[in-house]
Amino acid sequence: MGHKKAQKAYKWFRYVLLVPALLFALAPVYWMLTISLKSEVDQFATPPPWFVFTPTLDHYYDAFVTRGFGEYLLNSAIVSVSSTICALVIGTLAAYALTRFELPWRLNRHLSLWILSTRMFPAIVTAVPLFLMMRDLRLLNTRASLIIVYTAFNLPFVVWMMRGFFADLPRDLEEAALVDGDSRLGALVRVVLPLVAPGLAATAVFCLIISWNEFLFALVLTQTDAAMTLPVGIAGRVTQYEIKWGVMSAAASVALVPILVFALALQKYLVRGLSLGAVKG
Amino acid sequence: MGIEFRNVSKHFGGASVVDDLSLEIRDGEFVVLLGPSGCGKTTTLRMLAGLETVSSGDIFIEGERVNDVPTQHRDLAMVFQSYALYPHMTIVENIGYPLRVRKFDKAQRVERVNRVAAMLEIESLLERKPRQLSGGERQRVALARAIVREPRAYLMDEPLSNLDARLRVQMRGELKRLQHQLGTTTIYVTHDQAEAMTLASRVAVMRKGRLQQFDTPMNIYNCPANRFVAEFVGSPSMNFIEGEQVTIGIRPEHIQVFSEPRDGAIAASVYVTELMGNETFVFLSVGTNRLIARAPADFRAEVESKVWLQFAEDKMHYFDPKSGESLTQRHKL
Repeated sequence: MGHKKAQKAYKWFRYVLLVPALLFALAPVYWMLTISLKSEVDQFATPPPWFVFTPTLDHYYDAFVTRGFGEYLLNSAIVSVSSTICALVIGTLAAYALTRFELPWRLNRHLSLWILSTRMFPAIVTAVPLFLMMRDLRLLNTRASLIIVYTAFNLPFVVWMMRGFFADLPRDLEEAALVDGDSRLGALVRVVLPLVAPGLAATAVFCLIISWNEFLFALVLTQTDAAMTLPVGIAGRVTQYEIKWGVMSAAASVALVPILVFALALQKYLVRGLSLGAVKG
Repeated sequence: MGIEFRNVSKHFGGASVVDDLSLEIRDGEFVVLLGPSGCGKTTTLRMLAGLETVSSGDIFIEGERVNDVPTQHRDLAMVFQSYALYPHMTIVENIGYPLRVRKFDKAQRVERVNRVAAMLEIESLLERKPRQLSGGERQRVALARAIVREPRAYLMDEPLSNLDARLRVQMRGELKRLQHQLGTTTIYVTHDQAEAMTLASRVAVMRKGRLQQFDTPMNIYNCPANRFVAEFVGSPSMNFIEGEQVTIGIRPEHIQVFSEPRDGAIAASVYVTELMGNETFVFLSVGTNRLIARAPADFRAEVESKVWLQFAEDKMHYFDPKSGESLTQRHKL
């Protein structure tokens, strides 16, 4: 009996350890959600009404009907999804080449490190050159500019993650596919990719989150509603005269949803993808 | 026609893995590449499959030079040591894969898959995934995938080495029977001399990337070209007695052991005996030499007891002590 009790106590102890971490991580989210549902009077009341207040959807109406947040949401969605797809296609092919073909002069290794090194300097360094390039290409204030920049930004990440997944996959399988009469590309599509699908899913989630949340380049490269994404749109509510906390919180709360849904949908793959290769099957 | 290696070499970096290999394999032959690990036999097979490039020399399949032909256009089928079944596909999909990528229509695919499944008695497994199968079953599926179309040759890379001993002997028999039925050229890589002896119409013994001997199993056994072949083929191994001018080799079954002295017999002492059930291996000391002899199952001798040996002189082999080359002139079969 004593043993069982100890086990139960241990189980509770685990939650005790988790609570501070959860509080720390989720408190701002809770704060944001409540602000988005509070009237302005409640927002600034002291002490703040933590749990009991009269909820209102006014800010949501304001954000998505009166103001153009719906458009920002659409921009964000198009830019994130497109750049994620581009980065996955290009990066996966590159990673496959790096793991499966032997390049001269030890280029496999050099190229991999070179690709990684593009993520080593602070992003702001490239902001001005990118702004000038996009201006000359007449791509300022277009979704295309953000898709291009995010694809470039996510590529090293995709290449490195996928490289690991490919390296863990036995070569026999592709070789069998080749001997069976399939082309390289056919073997990649029919045999290799289905087997690294969990890795691909995990990588996709990360790319999407990074693109969805990106602020710096979106701020530099878009100034009009035509291509402005949610993070920039939200920040834009901090004006010289007032800060629209309710609208900002409402928009930010909505911005949470797609990523949350996507991550939950791929949760199974996400965990498998991140631990793939850790345990040899 | 068949398959020909002409002066084929393969280097990895500075290391030579296959060195000037020339081999002519006739149509319909079952050729076994035999040798210890690292002898270049698997690399040879992979070069033929197009999975490794050829450093120098030429490979021909049915008269066509295939050095620069990509794997998928060489029209071969291969069974891998790991079986390499596609884990995300069912057994039907696995076996049907070579047909699918070659654009066979559905009806033809179903018909052929069912035919080979029946041949290999795996009809009941068709809807399963590879991970639900035992080693022996996976082996059969790998074979089925290879024979489902009619390739120019089958390549097999140690296909039985992951099976337990009993299953291995059973599959060995089935493989031989299958090849007899199909009559397709087969090239089979193994380090197991028993597999080579039982399966091959001809055996190519390799060592350190070089071909040592290419002949029928009987000739490999009875007329080994050099000391390496003599030692590698046969179990227990051939005995060697080192001399200044010549090394004498004699197989364990060509030494007769007697408990009583007799004319022309050499005295020896018993080191240990191993009863195998159907026969007894007698380990002997003659001076500084250690010999193994094959004796009947009812042979009994105490450790350290004295015995007398008679060698079948017409079965003795003579090797050059320096080069290891055979000096024996014997009529080949």
